[in-house]
Amino acid sequence: MTGALRRSAGIVGMVAILLFFTVSLPDTFLTLRNWLNISQQISMLAVVAVTMTVVMAMGDFDLSVGSMASLSGVVAAAAFLQGWPIPAALGLSLVVGLMGGVFNGVMVALVGILPFVATLATLTVFSGLAFLVSDGRTVFGRDIPSAFSDFARSGLPLSSGEGPALVLPNLTLVALGVALVVWVVLEQTTYGRRLYALGGNTEAARLAGLPVQALRLSAYAFTGVGAAIAGLMYASRVASANPTQGDGLMLTAIASVFLGMTLTRDGSPRVFATLAGVLVLGVLDNGLTQMRVDSYVREVLVGAIILVAVGMSALGRGSALRRS
Amino acid sequence: MTELVLEGLSRTFGRVRAIDGVMVLDGTPLPLGSPTVMRDAGLRFIHQELHPVRGLSVAENMHLDRRYPQRLGLGLVDWRRLNRAASTALDRIGLSRISPRARMSDLGVGDQMLVRLAGTLIEDDGSALPWLYVMDEPTAALTGEESERLFSVIDGLTIRGAGVLYVSHRMPEVLRLAHRVSVLRDGWHVSTRQIGETSQDRIIREMTGRDLSALYPPRLTGRPGAPVLEIERLTAPGLTRVSLGLRAGEIMGVAGLAGAGRGALLQAIMGAVPRLGGIVRLDDEAVPARPAAAWARGLAYVPRERRSEGLLLRKSITDNVMLPHLAGFARAGVFVDAMRQTRTARALGEEVGLRATGPGQPCEALSGGNQQKVVFARALAGKPRVLILDEPTRGVDVAAKADIYHLLRRLSDEGVSILMASSDLPELLGLADRIIVLQGGRRTHLLENHDMTEADLLAHLYDAPQPAETMA
Repeated sequence: MTGALRRSAGIVGMVAILLFFTVSLPDTFLTLRNWLNISQQISMLAVVAVTMTVVMAMGDFDLSVGSMASLSGVVAAAAFLQGWPIPAALGLSLVVGLMGGVFNGVMVALVGILPFVATLATLTVFSGLAFLVSDGRTVFGRDIPSAFSDFARSGLPLSSGEGPALVLPNLTLVALGVALVVWVVLEQTTYGRRLYALGGNTEAARLAGLPVQALRLSAYAFTGVGAAIAGLMYASRVASANPTQGDGLMLTAIASVFLGMTLTRDGSPRVFATLAGVLVLGVLDNGLTQMRVDSYVREVLVGAIILVAVGMSALGRGSALRRS
Repeated sequence: MTELVLEGLSRTFGRVRAIDGVMVLDGTPLPLGSPTVMRDAGLRFIHQELHPVRGLSVAENMHLDRRYPQRLGLGLVDWRRLNRAASTALDRIGLSRISPRARMSDLGVGDQMLVRLAGTLIEDDGSALPWLYVMDEPTAALTGEESERLFSVIDGLTIRGAGVLYVSHRMPEVLRLAHRVSVLRDGWHVSTRQIGETSQDRIIREMTGRDLSALYPPRLTGRPGAPVLEIERLTAPGLTRVSLGLRAGEIMGVAGLAGAGRGALLQAIMGAVPRLGGIVRLDDEAVPARPAAAWARGLAYVPRERRSEGLLLRKSITDNVMLPHLAGFARAGVFVDAMRQTRTARALGEEVGLRATGPGQPCEALSGGNQQKVVFARALAGKPRVLILDEPTRGVDVAAKADIYHLLRRLSDEGVSILMASSDLPELLGLADRIIVLQGGRRTHLLENHDMTEADLLAHLYDAPQPAETMA
């Protein structure tokens, strides 16, 4: 009952946001072009948030994703500078992401450091490494192969005709692909169900014979690789790489998962719910920008909306418990 | 004499808010729904779940629901007065062996319970002494010895003029302690009688609405068959070289005082704690010391603490039942088959007599007895050869207890072997074919359960270990 109420409140809130922007921006907001644009803007956040969902299903966090995204971008750029071919540079970045994630996993699952502390420390480590690799500078234009930066600018053409063509951006396709893979792994396989079980009760899971350490360790590989993919997407989109460009992703990704959790029946993190959370934040950003709302005011509004959504969900859960 | 009258009260006592009704104290209605008001009126509550703050000292745990003594009114804790108040209260129930400065986490569960009780005996400056204690299953975590200490404290309280509202499933305790007995069923008041006008059978009939004279169903098939589980010189933390052999269809009880190693034995068999020595064999094949291996080989485990060790409380019944068996119920061992899981969970729920709205219901919404049945359904989902049960009816109501006993008997008739540790001696005597007795982590007896009385068994729990007993 309360779950349904909570969820419908979330959906009502989303519809209200959509209506508000549709009325305020009658000519531009509800156009296919704008929505394709939004999908591209949020694609990197979506990749990070969706992989963050894997870790949060276990009740853990990964705070290092932002600096890992920065690191992966500058690693690829550094490889380009050395004259590496594109696939090798991309592969190197992804391996760095995988190793960073596994390192987080080892610290949390084997050494036994709280995820908050362990990933806060690796956040700093990855960020420092990003500065080391790039020498603190932004890698620009001609050092980046054009094939790499063209990827983000193109996509699947949706229309042929006059005017600028409508395309489904490649970055959107990448995000959808990552979301699909994570959805299958997390929600359709026994591996994913076991991660959720860890989030429910680690001791019960251990006594039921689940390999707790291996599960926990492996889940961090998802956030590591996810962050690396997002970093590459970002670098491709802006055709440059600097050691801080991914930093903003972490908080927004966690916020998206929390927003998504307000939509699910039992308040657990789910992939498509997270995507809805990402979309809400993306739409807000897009709409408020078009209305020329100052970016500082935008941040205040986004923060307030997260508080309201998660707060309402917490109140709903509280009253459910009082009654049971 | 002070009198408390309850009328039409659906939920009492502040922890859960009352929906409707009145509570009248000496002619004055009490406002409902606030623990503080109840406290100020002189009521004290001992809840079933302890919720100790493990990192704080004993004295601080005793002061959680009141102001700490302060120095100079500046909010600085007066540690000396704090510890003295705690120590006085501990003395009052004969617990002077516990230091108020000890950490709560260093105490056993039984002592934690007694400390919580002692906390209600601290006298506040000026305010009246508490006169009504409400105790919800206070002996759930206590050994026989600790329970006895609690009972003498209760006797002391009543002699001093305080009343005790004692909520329990345990008939012997109710009959021993109470002057009057009220029976509730499904949230309704059934009866209130003087203790002299009622009996255990009558109380149980009123509680369950049916006759439970056959609480422990008799064995239908003949004697247990061939050996199935062999344990040799098993050693683990809290357990020293324990050997036993379990036959097909046998129910073996594990008895012992608290700390005797009952739980350690079961956990070592499952591989949930590291084994320091010894071997566990199922059908002459060694079982590795990992829970996953034990489950895979056909051992199923029901842990002692169903909330902290058993259930994923927020997850559905299906998720909980399937937890150890996910691979076995998946397509290609990997992809979740939700339909099959739901079907299996529903069938198992029926088998164990689970009462729920459906397999999707979250476990936190179930009663203690039904939660325990979910844990049993999980144990049965893999068609186990051997059930390893730690306190299988702890904190479970009488009707659910009867269901569980019938289930265990039926499984044993079908050839499943059961190793069952329990502090509930009647249930060991009612079900077990043999009873292994542990003292200080060692096996001291292996008893054939023929016409044994509770007193016989109790004597074996306490007596000095016998030297060099041969293996059965």
